[in-house]
Amino acid sequence: MTSIEVQYYALLREQAGVSRERVDTPATTPAALYEELQARYGFTLARAQLRVAINGEFADWNAVLPLGAEVVFIPPVAGG
Amino acid sequence: MARFEFSERALDTLALQESLTDRACGGYASFEGWVRDFNDGRQVARLEYEAYALLAVKEGERIVAEAIERFGVTHARCVHRIGNLPLGELAVWVGVSSPHRGEAFAACRYIIDEVKHRVPIWKKEHYLDGDSGWVNCERCAAAPATTAAGTHDHHDHAHEHHDHDETLAPTAIGVHAPGLPQPDYSRQQVLPEVGAAGQARLRAARVLVIGAGGLGTPVLSYLAGAGIGTLGVIDGDVLDASNLHRQTLYALADVGRPKALLAAERLRALNPEVDVRAYVQRADAEQLPALAAGFDVLVDCSDNFRTRFLVNDVAVRLGKPAVIASVYQYEGQLQVLTPSSACLRCIWPDGAHDGLVGNCAEAGVLGPVAGVLGSMQALEVLKLLLGLDSPAIGAVVLVDLRTLETRRLRAPRAAGCDAGACMRLPSATAVAMELEVELDLSAEGTIADWTMVDLRELTETVASPLALAHLHLPLAQLLADPARLPPGPRYLLVCARGQRSRGAAEALRAAGRDGIWSLRGGLAAQPRR
Repeated sequence: MTSIEVQYYALLREQAGVSRERVDTPATTPAALYEELQARYGFTLARAQLRVAINGEFADWNAVLPLGAEVVFIPPVAGG
Repeated sequence: MARFEFSERALDTLALQESLTDRACGGYASFEGWVRDFNDGRQVARLEYEAYALLAVKEGERIVAEAIERFGVTHARCVHRIGNLPLGELAVWVGVSSPHRGEAFAACRYIIDEVKHRVPIWKKEHYLDGDSGWVNCERCAAAPATTAAGTHDHHDHAHEHHDHDETLAPTAIGVHAPGLPQPDYSRQQVLPEVGAAGQARLRAARVLVIGAGGLGTPVLSYLAGAGIGTLGVIDGDVLDASNLHRQTLYALADVGRPKALLAAERLRALNPEVDVRAYVQRADAEQLPALAAGFDVLVDCSDNFRTRFLVNDVAVRLGKPAVIASVYQYEGQLQVLTPSSACLRCIWPDGAHDGLVGNCAEAGVLGPVAGVLGSMQALEVLKLLLGLDSPAIGAVVLVDLRTLETRRLRAPRAAGCDAGACMRLPSATAVAMELEVELDLSAEGTIADWTMVDLRELTETVASPLALAHLHLPLAQLLADPARLPPGPRYLLVCARGQRSRGAAEALRAAGRDGIWSLRGGLAAQPRR
């Protein structure tokens, strides 16, 4: 299990009900982590519609989550 | 010899011409603007010119230097009168000498057009009936037919000249008399990063704002207040009462009127020195590329992904920086793209689809959230224009205004995109980068925004000469050395039937050049008069 700091934006924040939380997870990639959280919160956005950043930089869904990583899930937003 | 100056005394054109003579020059072109007796339906008795000399001379010198660099002419000079001028008096003189005539004509026209557009000169008309009124010449971006020596300057005021600006109501020219308060940029100019030089850069800048809503209104207000020279605003919507909690330029009584026109009206009142161009239309793939080519920075303040990605794609294709933002409830995203940074498609390779996540109407937003993000966009535009670095370049800045947390996420360029071109732009059908334009060259003002290049062979041009200012560069010569057209102006390539010019425009675009169009159908398609 790894302890990951997760941040949510926009629709994900609404659906998770929090803007950040610490998650203990067996996931080793952001893809697996999103899958786990999607099951927990019922996120309606598919992974392909999001981007993920690890430690302040946009990253690949199959990147390896480093120990104590800070992960941000970002959907695009449209309003203006 | 000053390249740009003001004179309180009558001009000696022979002496001026003499100052440009050079054995290396085979061509000399000049333009003279004269005091005319009739304007806007009134008989004019005499004129009085005033200028902010300090700013005006610097801007004028910059224009002449630009013309020399752009067109490669040998000498260029402009003198503008100030003080009282009787009818028929010479008010402004431009002279250019160069090895060949084509560049001399083009540079001469460039100088007079830009001087009228950018140099702060005020004109007071004294009418035969004893009345008088101040007229801001800056608004009168000249469209008179150019430009052999001695051509009359029509200086006609009863219109806006921008041919693409038909939606703009012909409103009164910014009347701006001495005695009334003047724009004062001292509070920003005192910053060491701004100063007089920075202020002049802002004044010379052209910024296009796409969307005059929650993000667009603060962007426009701050940029007009900062003294940006030209502000374009595109918005196809009319004002709705539900906009007012976040769109601070407007009032309840404005509901139902087009936002682009309302914004233009308010911005002109805020700062009459700004040339505001309003476009009541949605930004679409047909028109945005040609329109955007005339601006230095694009600011996306739209409320949908279709437009946002279009602005991104046009900015990437034209190699122009863009400042992009969007809001959602209590948060926003900000991104600045430059030709060397990641673009939206590096981050969202599959695009994004409207309806996926809400816009302001569907998801809700607190007014100041749009205000904060719009203000950040205005700031990023000023930083770009002042040459200040920004952490928002090559990154997405996430702002959560509920927690007041800001996150900056670095966005590397997608692999394969570092050659100066985005690999993920949709095909030409998705973003129609039109190669051809349909223009009536004989209509007044049509070519004011273009630098025309005649691609025909010498024998053809002798048989059927082109009366308008242009560069002559036969097709083979252009293709052998595209650098003969320095970047900067919007070029209109012309030939007899529009085939050579289309091919040349296509080749130059493929080689990464922007700002190049072909006259559809060539000269043969022009209406005969």
